Amino acid sequence: MNFKQAASTLVLSMAVTVFAAQAEGPTDPQIAAIVVTANQVDIDAGKLATSKAQSKEVAAFAERMVVDHEGVNKAASELVTRLQVTPEPNATSQNLQQGGDENLAKLQQLDGHAFDRAYVEHEVAYHEAVLDAIDETLIPSAQNAELKALLVKVRPAFVAHLEHARQLRASLDQVGRLGQE
Amino acid sequence: MRVNVLARAPRALVLACTLAILGAAGTSAPGVTAKEYTIAIEDMRFVPATLTVRRGDRVTWINRDLVPHTATATAKTFDSSSIAPGGTWTYVATEPGTQAYACAFHPTMKGEVSIR
Repeated sequence: MNFKQAASTLVLSMAVTVFAAQAEGPTDPQIAAIVVTANQVDIDAGKLATSKAQSKEVAAFAERMVVDHEGVNKAASELVTRLQVTPEPNATSQNLQQGGDENLAKLQQLDGHAFDRAYVEHEVAYHEAVLDAIDETLIPSAQNAELKALLVKVRPAFVAHLEHARQLRASLDQVGRLGQE
Repeated sequence: MRVNVLARAPRALVLACTLAILGAAGTSAPGVTAKEYTIAIEDMRFVPATLTVRRGDRVTWINRDLVPHTATATAKTFDSSSIAPGGTWTYVATEPGTQAYACAFHPTMKGEVSIR
């Protein structure tokens, strides 16, 4: 991981764990905004990667991120509508959006293997950070039982995505090594 | 006078026709009733992950996750294609042996159906 990637990961981690340092966790409307934003930034990155990825495996992964995170957001939107909870933007959701925008700006400047590597590296960091937030902040803070249940239900998808992204990173590393030989 | 054709047909011919019909339908052996099995797809896993059935049994995958999945045999003997959230797909077990399968969308999801 180079300096820029490390910095990006740090920003992401700070964004989703900001509430951990506070005395009280986020409210349900704030959690709703965090969930929707977290999914949306990965959908945006996935859409870019679907069109720019060099590797067909990376492109397929990106397409999956778009489909899966849209599915999660659809379920989240239906739930908050039914519960009459209005998502409330907050520091964490805004930091997530900012981190997503910065990631997109960086990816726009890359092509080929460098793009694939940067996209997948960010996907690993993103899913690690969101999983930490789900476990340490969002699930413990959720007050509504159905909102908590939704967070519990989507967690395995983030785990599977993280493992998939790690496998892709390993295969890209191998391609990179072969290219240097 | 009405003639009972079956009564006059050679028994071997009747037996051959019966077996041909059963074979064409790919159903269980004579005298064995096909069973129905369900594999739940939930929490990004196949539950149960391993299942043993007899030839002719029906196996139905039901997707209880929020995202689409597939049940795709490694040997390409069966492929559900995309199963939408809440959707199902049924496979009539016809290929004897152990069929390893995975979700084509999520490579960490793996299962196995043994067909006897």
